[in-house]
Amino acid sequence: MSSSSPSGSGGDLSERRGIPAAKFIQDVETYLSQSSLDSNSALAFHQESEVFCPVILLFRLQQYKVVEMKLLAQQRDLQVYFSPPLCRLVPFCDEASLVAKIPDIEKCLEVVGTLEARKGTGEALLADFEVSEGIYSRACIEDTDSVCLWLGANVMLEYSCEEATALLKNNLENAKASLEVLVADLQFLRDQVTVTQVTIARIYNYDVQQRRVKQVAPTAITAADS
Amino acid sequence: MASSSSARGELEKMGIDQLKALKEQADLEVNLLQDSLNNIRTANARLESAAGALNDLSLRPQGKKMLVPLTASLYVPGTLDEADKVLVDIGTGYFIEKTMEDGKDYCQRKINLLKSNYEQLFEVLAKKKSVADEAGMVLQSKVRQLQAATTS
Repeated sequence: MSSSSPSGSGGDLSERRGIPAAKFIQDVETYLSQSSLDSNSALAFHQESEVFCPVILLFRLQQYKVVEMKLLAQQRDLQVYFSPPLCRLVPFCDEASLVAKIPDIEKCLEVVGTLEARKGTGEALLADFEVSEGIYSRACIEDTDSVCLWLGANVMLEYSCEEATALLKNNLENAKASLEVLVADLQFLRDQVTVTQVTIARIYNYDVQQRRVKQVAPTAITAADS
Repeated sequence: MASSSSARGELEKMGIDQLKALKEQADLEVNLLQDSLNNIRTANARLESAAGALNDLSLRPQGKKMLVPLTASLYVPGTLDEADKVLVDIGTGYFIEKTMEDGKDYCQRKINLLKSNYEQLFEVLAKKKSVADEAGMVLQSKVRQLQAATTS
């Protein structure tokens, strides 16, 4: 099949991180005749537009939808703040808490900053902490240099304030970078979905045109006969 | 079951379109009620875990060393202060300080209230479901009659 450069702001990419790019078809007629000759891409009846269009286009559309769902879920995972799961009053958590997400990491950074600022004064901090959803209890936090960070997979490590700040900053940058990549992926995906839908629409229009031509032709012949 | 037979009689009198609309509406209501039931169930589970946590907390003495969660993944070593008082969230951003006993009592009362709500809702759901099912059956028989009439 002749490959023309894909349209859209994505640039000349044949695929991006596993998402195949949709080729922009220059001429519907040649595309259809080519695909009908090619035994691999059988024509399938598309329910909505009621036209025979290559099965590969429909399949592509479905694939795009699936990938879009997955990416949206990942994005939600990074951006939305989930409330912390319940923890029993034991030094180690029974349940795996969620991997730190962007708002959560930012909060942690703030708290560590506050703790560090207070370090010199030597006064104890009274904090209300969540025992379970809706239940809070008070605790007294004395001056301490160490904080414990939950890294996931039943692992918790104790860090000094500076180390904790460095680690949290690193995590935040990584999370933000992956969010950017995710957003770019979603945009690329949206472009490909549009291109594929446009192709299907053009095939439908071409089909309508063909039918109209066929209708006119017999009447023209009968008119010529009589 | 005089009520159900009279309702059945009414359903038979209605036209096919009306029956279809009625069935769709009943299905929608059933779904809504099902969602509410699920919400109540989750809220109940949360409250039960809160009650369990409170019981656990009451066993710990004051001044016990613990790791205080300041955020979801940040813990700071500290000591338990005022083991007898807890803050309960009563909704809309209001918190009330209660003693341990009162807190446990509050949780229990809430659980009981939710349980009774759940049971009431369940009854309503069962009724609506039976109406939807009946409407569906009558609709099907009517459609079959119509098909038999048109083919014969």
